[in-house]
Amino acid sequence: MQTLHVNGYDMAYLDVGEAKGTPPLVCVHGSLNDFRIWGCVLGPLTKQHRLICVSLRHFFPEQWDGKGNTYSIAQHVDDLIAFIEKLDAGPVDLLGHSRGGHICFRLAQRRPELLRRLILAEPGGELDASLAPDTKGGPSPLLARFTTAADKIAAGDIDGGLEFFVDTLEGPGRWHRLPPLMKQGLIDNAMTLIGQVRDERPGFSKTDAESIKMPTLFIGGAKTKGLLPKVLHTLAAHVPDAKVALIPNTTHPMFEQAPHAFSEVVLKFLAG
Amino acid sequence: MQTINVNGYDMAYLEVGQGKDGDPPLVCVHGTLGDFRTWYAVLGPLSKKHRVIAVSLRHFFPEHWDGAGDDYRMAQHIADVIAFIEQIEPGPVDLMGHSRGGHIAFRVAQQRPDLLRKVVLAEPGGDLDSTLAPAAAPGGPSPQSARVLVSVNKVRSGDIEGALENFVDGIDGEGTWRRLPAAAKQQLRDNIFTLLGQVHEARKPYSKPDARAIKTPTLLIGGADTKGSLSLIWRALAEHITGAKTAVIPNAKHWMFEQDPEGFSRAVAEFLAG
Repeated sequence: MQTLHVNGYDMAYLDVGEAKGTPPLVCVHGSLNDFRIWGCVLGPLTKQHRLICVSLRHFFPEQWDGKGNTYSIAQHVDDLIAFIEKLDAGPVDLLGHSRGGHICFRLAQRRPELLRRLILAEPGGELDASLAPDTKGGPSPLLARFTTAADKIAAGDIDGGLEFFVDTLEGPGRWHRLPPLMKQGLIDNAMTLIGQVRDERPGFSKTDAESIKMPTLFIGGAKTKGLLPKVLHTLAAHVPDAKVALIPNTTHPMFEQAPHAFSEVVLKFLAG
Repeated sequence: MQTINVNGYDMAYLEVGQGKDGDPPLVCVHGTLGDFRTWYAVLGPLSKKHRVIAVSLRHFFPEHWDGAGDDYRMAQHIADVIAFIEQIEPGPVDLMGHSRGGHIAFRVAQQRPDLLRKVVLAEPGGDLDSTLAPAAAPGGPSPQSARVLVSVNKVRSGDIEGALENFVDGIDGEGTWRRLPAAAKQQLRDNIFTLLGQVHEARKPYSKPDARAIKTPTLLIGGADTKGSLSLIWRALAEHITGAKTAVIPNAKHWMFEQDPEGFSRAVAEFLAG
């Protein structure tokens, strides 16, 4: 693959499509995914844009062994900043999904001059007390279960670890019902879960949200339940120049479930 | 994307994995309505041991082709793959093709055995001539190419969904298209206009002398549940390619590497290592 050398690491990316007067759209995957997760929207989006789909440090195509302390939000934000600088294409448009949305949010906070527009598709993370007064703080109540999943993976039980992880998030039996094609992408990135449970990410605060300067689009799945829609709508209420688009009949992987509808929303926002 | 200029066309490819020093890369050729993304499901397992190079043939995504021009030809794609291999690596490569891409890989092996170390054909597409299928009606279109014609007419009248449903269901049975995940559908949809080229691609049927001419060690892979001509062709070729090995992927149909990525990759990796 093509790579850029950032902070001592060869960061892989897929560069596809030709820009028609707009900056490149840099796409950042979430947990257990990699550059391939954007495969289903490449067609519609590259009709107008140059897409740069990165794989963050330790995700496929790397075959990581789970060792070391270089899997963290902080490291991934640093890497993405260095990547955009090295790309040397001026301010870019930035799209992040889930944990990738969290990374893009933090980048927008720290280095607004690197971005033209920002798209956050159900960004992951928690709200702190300034945004959710009833919040208890502390680690996610699911952390213990995720740690169990990571321990299984570290012990070599990839399938068992992923089953525990996916079923915790989406209900019993979900892993077994996933199409093998989708399972495989998670299997290829299973070791990153070991880094993920060690990662500490501070919750979003009101000040954080208010500091996002560029035009920002929040995209959600209309049927997503739980914390993700709450985070999305709360952030959107406090980011000064924010729009919200919900994709009907979809949940968290909304662009895989409705690639065309998702792409339409993105194209409209980037053109507007 | 990375590209190599072949016969005046910038051919895009994705390259993943290092392989061992001295091992040839594995060049992968997608089939009808596919592109380099066709192989996404097996990139992980295969790139652990191999340098995997997944190409997009002329006019497939990332190109946004409108179907105009007459250089969507089987012979053109074969010539492009040959020129690609000549430039990507000084020594022989391993070559894998699926469906129509399997047809291309077969023809490359026939024409330029010097470029190849091993060949993997995953349900290669095409027709058998009368030397391989005595019952074949001479000159008539196969059920498969008749089905493509129906889809082409639907594309021309603007019915993209109908064209895709007809094509996919023609291969793996009624209802297959509707059950496909939206993400998989979109990747096929991205290539729909290549069907317009496929009508005049001039694909020749396989003959017994063709099969006997293959000197490269060959693995033929099929899905255990594939029906119709695609389940017959690879078995007929396997009978006549000297020393051919075969592998059947249980509980899988024509897109067997998406339905069982690990099983498919294991069969390929064992063959390439052996």
